[in-house]
Amino acid sequence: MPGPLADRGASGIGHPHSAAEAAQAAARDFPPLSLKVDRISVMYPNGQRALNDASFSLSAGTVCGLVGANGSGKSTLFKSVMGFVNPVSGTVRINGRPVREALKQQLVAYVPQAEEVDWQFPVNVTDVVMMGRYGAMNFLRISRAADHAAVEASLRRVGMWDFRGRQIGELSGGQKKRVFLARALAQGGRVILLDEPFTGVDVQTEEAIITLLRQLADDGCIILVSTHNLGSVPEFCDRAVLLNKTVLASGPVEEVFTEPNLTKAFGGVLRQFHFEHSTIQNHDGRQVRVLTDDERPLVFGKDGHLEYKDRTGREDLVKIRSEEQD
Amino acid sequence: MDTLLVPFHYDYMLRAILVSALIGGVCGLLSAFITLKGWSLMGDALSHAVVPGVAIAYLIGLPFALGAFVTGLLAAVAIAWVKTGSRIREDASIGIVFTSFFALGLLLISLNPARVNLNSIIFGNILGISVPDIKQLVVISVVTVAVTVLKWRDLMLFCFDPGQARTLGIRTGLLHGLLFTLLAATTVAALQTVGALLVVAMLITPGATAYLLTDRFGVMLWLSSALGAVTALAGAYASYFLNGATGGCIVTLQTLVFVVAFLFAPKHGVLAASRKAKRLARMEGETAL
Ligand SMILES: Nc1ncnc2c1ncn2[C@@H]1O[C@H](COP(=O)(O)OP(=O)(O)OP(=O)(O)O)[C@@H](O)[C@H]1O
Ligand SMILES: [Mg+2]
Repeated sequence: MPGPLADRGASGIGHPHSAAEAAQAAARDFPPLSLKVDRISVMYPNGQRALNDASFSLSAGTVCGLVGANGSGKSTLFKSVMGFVNPVSGTVRINGRPVREALKQQLVAYVPQAEEVDWQFPVNVTDVVMMGRYGAMNFLRISRAADHAAVEASLRRVGMWDFRGRQIGELSGGQKKRVFLARALAQGGRVILLDEPFTGVDVQTEEAIITLLRQLADDGCIILVSTHNLGSVPEFCDRAVLLNKTVLASGPVEEVFTEPNLTKAFGGVLRQFHFEHSTIQNHDGRQVRVLTDDERPLVFGKDGHLEYKDRTGREDLVKIRSEEQD
Repeated sequence: MDTLLVPFHYDYMLRAILVSALIGGVCGLLSAFITLKGWSLMGDALSHAVVPGVAIAYLIGLPFALGAFVTGLLAAVAIAWVKTGSRIREDASIGIVFTSFFALGLLLISLNPARVNLNSIIFGNILGISVPDIKQLVVISVVTVAVTVLKWRDLMLFCFDPGQARTLGIRTGLLHGLLFTLLAATTVAALQTVGALLVVAMLITPGATAYLLTDRFGVMLWLSSALGAVTALAGAYASYFLNGATGGCIVTLQTLVFVVAFLFAPKHGVLAASRKAKRLARMEGETAL
């Protein structure tokens, strides 16, 4: 049962006149994009097996949430998709080709975890975003007008153009994230990997990043986001991959985010709030407001199905749920 | 006035000053990368590990740069091997390997005191440098500068974010090897000027000084090369009047410049930082009211 989110990515590639033209334009601008992780196992040199027989696949126009406890292999999976670690068995293919070829075409862009970056390095915001263009430049990496235009466009898109001269350490956590996102945009990456982009980011910036990711997916990108913030996944992801050394479940968020699956992925470590065990009375009706500090709450309804924050855009779902009543 | 020009009347002095300036500049150039990449300890290790190579090269009549290069490389491999093959940490494995190479070098030299001069390797001997040695230095310097000028952006990206370099399809293994080779070659060159003990200063201090003075890598690159060249030139020149060791003069001068930057750098100096902290405290005091 594909939910309303599942096929969002199909739209949004311009407005050509005929289907044939549309197909042509799509083929020219966005060659068919796919990411296929096929039964990979990853072993670190110290003998630590970080991933075991993990498989899933994604196609163009998808935002996919990668969810798992600490040490479940999320970063390792990213490293495999970027070709930084070689699986001992299994393959990762982008557009049906090995990762190395996709990297040569600058198809893969990565937004690193904040801890991985040397924030005292003497580069400013423009320098960092320009690094996204190196692959497209000549041997000497001398920037041309097109590179400067791409840098400016990306910085404006993430709202960081006014900060272009700042040394990167002199930005807030959310601003730093946006700079690296701009670098991925400037690079023109089609498979964009974000490792925990929402840690240390305020709600407003989170919304802005999410909007941007949705737009990129609508442009035909594949976005893979690892996050600890379970509640945000149903709000902005089409699909989810649940990880715990292996892929426990993957598919549309509604199918993956079930209580049994999440319990399997996180063991007993998730905090829970059961209404029937709580002090909330029947006469309170639906007049309960949920506030959390940084994370969005993940709310399951009576039959264990996901509840969303916003009705708008999910009219179909509301209808289905109201019919269930009767 | 004339006394100030005296050093230039001696060929050996003029040569020493010019060669020092060249090596100082090249070391300064590389120091920008070395300090940011966190390879300072590696530079120190290399400068000691090349000693047996230099000794062997002199003994069997090969170019000293070749011998130095080979043992430098061997040391790097040994360090990596000790680190990955055991639970010993990197700094300890660097320490173990470079001291053993250095000890081997000392042993070789002490066994052949007539053929190799211990002092000139440990403390440098720029005043007595031979023409073939100068030729080797010039070749090393020209190649290093040329490669750096052509590929500094790639090397910068490699130092800053090797992950990004890899996702762009850039071969980081090659860049790693390239930077290491340049470092080894420059270490060998600097050995002649200031000696094995002080090479590491030439490879760190100018970069560290420039780092305090700017927030742009391109500027830092120019600044550290210029600092390296000027301090080496002035140090060698001053050594004539002080009648002291050239290496000592150069490195002392570099340290003085560093201390000035450390204290007075407009943005990253100690004084600027404490001024800023005070201003912040005052502002917070006001908003609290
Ligand atoms: N470089 C490494 N060498 C050896 N083992 C590693 C290395 N990196 C990660 N591991 C191990 O591999 C497993 C998976 O780690 P990974 O970093 O992929 O987890 P993660 O899901 O990203 O965790 P987190 O949520 O904390 O970021 C862990 O058990 C970890 O200890
Ligand atoms: Mg991680």
